[in-house]
Amino acid sequence: MSAALSFEQAPPLSVPHRFFLTGPLFGVAAGVLVALRGDEVVLSRWSMATFAAVHLVTVGFMLQVMCGALMQFLPVAAGANVWRPRLVAGVVHPSLTLGAVALTAGFLGAGADAMRAAVVLLGAGLTAFVAVTGLGLARSPAIGPTLLLLRSAVAALAVTAGLGVALAAIFAWGAALPLVQLVHLHAAWGLGGWALLLVIAVALLVVPMFQLTPPYPVRFSRGLGLAVAGALAAWTVGVVLDVAALDVVATSFGVGALGAFAVKTLHLQSKRRRKVLDTTVFAWRVGLGCLLVAGAALVALRLPLPALARARLEYLLGVALVAGAFPAMMAGMLYKIVGFIEWLHLQRVMAVPPTMQKVLPDARARWQWRVFTGAVLLLVGGALWPPLARLGGLGFAAACVILELHLISATRLYLRLSAAAALETPATP
Amino acid sequence: MTDLRLDARELLPPEPMQRVMAALPTLGPEDVLTLLLYREPFPLYAALEQRGFTWRTTLADDGTYTIEVRRR
Repeated sequence: MSAALSFEQAPPLSVPHRFFLTGPLFGVAAGVLVALRGDEVVLSRWSMATFAAVHLVTVGFMLQVMCGALMQFLPVAAGANVWRPRLVAGVVHPSLTLGAVALTAGFLGAGADAMRAAVVLLGAGLTAFVAVTGLGLARSPAIGPTLLLLRSAVAALAVTAGLGVALAAIFAWGAALPLVQLVHLHAAWGLGGWALLLVIAVALLVVPMFQLTPPYPVRFSRGLGLAVAGALAAWTVGVVLDVAALDVVATSFGVGALGAFAVKTLHLQSKRRRKVLDTTVFAWRVGLGCLLVAGAALVALRLPLPALARARLEYLLGVALVAGAFPAMMAGMLYKIVGFIEWLHLQRVMAVPPTMQKVLPDARARWQWRVFTGAVLLLVGGALWPPLARLGGLGFAAACVILELHLISATRLYLRLSAAAALETPATP
Repeated sequence: MTDLRLDARELLPPEPMQRVMAALPTLGPEDVLTLLLYREPFPLYAALEQRGFTWRTTLADDGTYTIEVRRR
């Protein structure tokens, strides 16, 4: 075994992989839905087709990948051991998977029963996930800013899930709740809180580690966390108490934080010492570029606009975040993380495990990145000429199919090599 | 007493871990191995614990973690 590396803290490979292998399938479904009903998606953020497409990506794809990655990431990044990871994954993964299916079906006309099932499944799965990861993070001995960001991200997930359950209760039981305000809060806490904070927390570790860039300064990282928290607090109080002035505060803090994070990361990447320009760097650039577009759209939406322009800008904001920024960075990281995790596990059983490059060659990631980027450009173009959104949906589905096939291929390689290694190991008497 | 210094900030994983593992057997009772990284190495902590070493970690404003490793 090479250098007797110790990774006892890492969960079994099956724990993150079940989430990673499921997520892209929902991405395919989202792309197909946009290909079929793209006109409705461009027309309004309030159409049922839009709700379904957005949640296929956010709950089906992003949440799956983020939960799987977090279970792998917590012990390594924060020394936060996840309690019985195999059992937790065995509960959370099917709950999220079936919950995402039920939620989508509910949006697409399957009725209140589907929404009720979604409430129960997603509520149970996320309660278990937040409890276990929250407990691990509460006990973490980490001293760096990553811990603050991870704790904030998981807290934001809990708030997002609570708001989501309240919203689903409107559809499921006709609960008399303020739908519009809840949607505003749910979207802000989900995308601006949970997703953005988690991406920042992961970036603090993986960008310097895999791309050999200088680190994020500690005060900058803590400042990002505080700015996002400030934005969410101002937004929440503003929406609940209907104080318009707080919208300016929330937008300033929120756009400032995501803009600063994007610009700083691009700057650090420009100073990277690893001269090999692998696809992860490109994927981050697309993701960070989309974050900047989202920031500009958020500011522009504060201007007095005609209804059509406002609807198109809202569509652009949604595409930039839901189809562009987060999936781009997640796919880019998946190609790295999956290769690294498989190497990690194989070096326990093989004298010479295949390198990360052999597990998931960069040429494959590049191929996926090209299709994905083309799809995002088409989806963005849909804001100007809606038929392009349908083509973008097809491209998004294709990119997710390619990602899924690559992940399956890497998993099969791991299973084949670990089985062969087991055969070669003499049985202990 | 010997002070070993390993600046692993510009090394790709798993090289920092491999280098520390290679250096540990050479540490005498009073020696200190000082490791510089841009992240807190929790997998390394577990390995140090198992092998009878202690460590102290500090974080500088620029994001550099300094880990001082000694025999217990």
